[in-house]
Amino acid sequence: MTAEFEADLVVREVEPAAEGVVALSLAGEDLPDWTPGAHVDLILGDGLVRQYSLCGRTGDPGCWRIAVLETPDSRGGSRAVHRLAAGATVRVRGPRNHFPVVASPRYLFLAGGIGITPLLPMIGEVSAAGADWELHYGGRTLESMAFTDELAAFGDRVHLVPEDTHGRLGLNGILGTPRPDTLVYACGPEGMLAAVERHCVSWPPGSLHLERFTADVDRTGEPFEVVLERSGRTLVVGPGRSIFETVRAAGVGVLGSCLEGICGTCETEVLDGEVDHRDSVLDADERASNEVMMICVSRCRGSRLTLAL
Amino acid sequence: MNLDEVDLADNDRFQRNEGWPQFDTLRREDPVHWTAEAAPNRGFWSVMKYQDIWAVDRDTSLFTSEKFVNLEEVDDDLMDIRRSILETDGQRHLALRQLIAREFSPRNLMKNYEGFLRELTKRTVDEALTATEFDFVEKISADFPIQVLARLLDVPLEDTGQLIAWGNEMVGNTDPEFIEHTIDSPESEKYKHLPFRSPTTQDVFDYGRALRDRRRDGDGTDLISQLANKLPNDGVAMSDKDFDNYFLLLVIAGNETTRHAISNSMLALIEQPDQLRLLQEDPSLIASGLEELLRWASPVYHFRRTATRDTSLGGKEIKEGDKVVMWFASGNRDEDVFQDPYQLDVRRANVDHLTFGKGSPHLCMGNALARMEVRLMFEELLPRLAGIDLNGDVARVRSNFVNGIKKFPVTVKTR
Repeated sequence: MTAEFEADLVVREVEPAAEGVVALSLAGEDLPDWTPGAHVDLILGDGLVRQYSLCGRTGDPGCWRIAVLETPDSRGGSRAVHRLAAGATVRVRGPRNHFPVVASPRYLFLAGGIGITPLLPMIGEVSAAGADWELHYGGRTLESMAFTDELAAFGDRVHLVPEDTHGRLGLNGILGTPRPDTLVYACGPEGMLAAVERHCVSWPPGSLHLERFTADVDRTGEPFEVVLERSGRTLVVGPGRSIFETVRAAGVGVLGSCLEGICGTCETEVLDGEVDHRDSVLDADERASNEVMMICVSRCRGSRLTLAL
Repeated sequence: MNLDEVDLADNDRFQRNEGWPQFDTLRREDPVHWTAEAAPNRGFWSVMKYQDIWAVDRDTSLFTSEKFVNLEEVDDDLMDIRRSILETDGQRHLALRQLIAREFSPRNLMKNYEGFLRELTKRTVDEALTATEFDFVEKISADFPIQVLARLLDVPLEDTGQLIAWGNEMVGNTDPEFIEHTIDSPESEKYKHLPFRSPTTQDVFDYGRALRDRRRDGDGTDLISQLANKLPNDGVAMSDKDFDNYFLLLVIAGNETTRHAISNSMLALIEQPDQLRLLQEDPSLIASGLEELLRWASPVYHFRRTATRDTSLGGKEIKEGDKVVMWFASGNRDEDVFQDPYQLDVRRANVDHLTFGKGSPHLCMGNALARMEVRLMFEELLPRLAGIDLNGDVARVRSNFVNGIKKFPVTVKTR
């Protein structure tokens, strides 16, 4: 495996993209190719690393675009990005893609708020390929929704749903009837994605593709096995999926609450394997002891973890 | 109930257990709802739906706790005097919370307290069941959580009666049975510099400080010793005021809420006896059904936040400075999340209730302890019961904050 690209990129342009959202163009030499759905790490110093989807055009050599919503993440990642001005440099690593587009005659794109970012290049690509598609894009208000100007070019394929005037995305209508020839791509806040998942249970397996994002936590990583000692089950935790989601989906009861590694509710005892801790609950000694982990965000450094579940 | 009849500021209705039909109407017809209040209060927004409550609770920069977290509006100059970790956000909040938060982790609790708790629970049940008629609150749920707390704080057992009385007075500050001047009466103004506007908080402070001073530089592992001797990880030592308010919070939070969780759960099991039967036939269901009991019990109706800038929620324009109230109890009955929400169903899977908050750095620090206490109580009590029935009227606390039961007469048959 070749080493991942990592370099200091220059902020070429900073543009307001919506209320609370800025779009940054990042320029550098020999930027690797990327595909829609990819994200990069911004390494912001002091151990602060944040993930942002690439939302420019794939054929734009030497320039990557990200869009960042200022959010209340406890350590100020998005605020640090918002302080970057044109001419500044920022350390960037990647790209990685855990949300790739699979070929299909038809697509349904569902965006919530800043979740539009990975979908934007997807739309460019499937549109150019001549696929049939629709976008349903919800946000708090029209002013808070980024890239509506660029989306206007696509006419009535794009449905903008600002909550203050149109209410929430009508998922019953959009997803009510399973369509075997259609793939669903969704990105947005956790509540919306959970609702999308509920609506998609009757769709054919493999129809739904989700990207979960939060302000604070990198949820990406290689797949690994998790052995549930008490239940006698072995499950595979896929890239971008959490142990918590995987275990729940297998019908094993586990507690969880914040699902962002801050509250400690999902603390689980580790019997074997090395944990890749990503929560903000455990202190350095507790992390090093490798005895417990927060399964909503933390992952595995090797290929297998054994848990007291 | 019609929308124009709803008034969530009216404590009397909650004493009559009329919160629920109001919540139902609001979730259906006006899920982000404005309630006017009598001056000097300015009214508040009520957030009723599960997803909205979660969204508000996790967004600490838009919805701050620093302007206080109950309906009472605290004068700016008094905030810092009364501020505890509940009303602190950001790094200082985490630093103060982390001083003792890990003492409440499931593993540390199991290791340090489960044996003690099991014995205490057994003794409590044994003593209660010497009679066939008793008050469930008095004999089972009232004293048990505070005795656990007394152990965590390592205070003498003979002081627990005093701790209980203090807790009642603070949290029941809208109920004339517990406090001379209820917080919605003009007389409470003269105590507005004190937490809960309660004149006896000074006694609690004095008691706590004496404990702390005795344990300074000692090697105790109890919570007081840790607060007395550890430096918060932001490098800023706790002031006397920080300590006072922390101690007070531990006394209150560890006491009232668990008590009401146990009482409300028991009442539900009496009213829906098929569920009681399930737990008795298969006691292993108590551990897995615990989350459903906690969803049901919702001992804290709400906490409040304050908008830090203009925003919109559920189609309503919320202005900077507006009070925004998360009605956890309503979210716990949200039909979009919990099918048949008024059916207690101890076999319901994945009950992600809002009872301890959700998504917030302020999530109940004692949640694992509360879970353990409620579980142990029902594991010890239910197998001993051949029957349990109501034996008179249930009396509830006059409060739209704590969903509490004061009197709960029962008759029991033992096995």
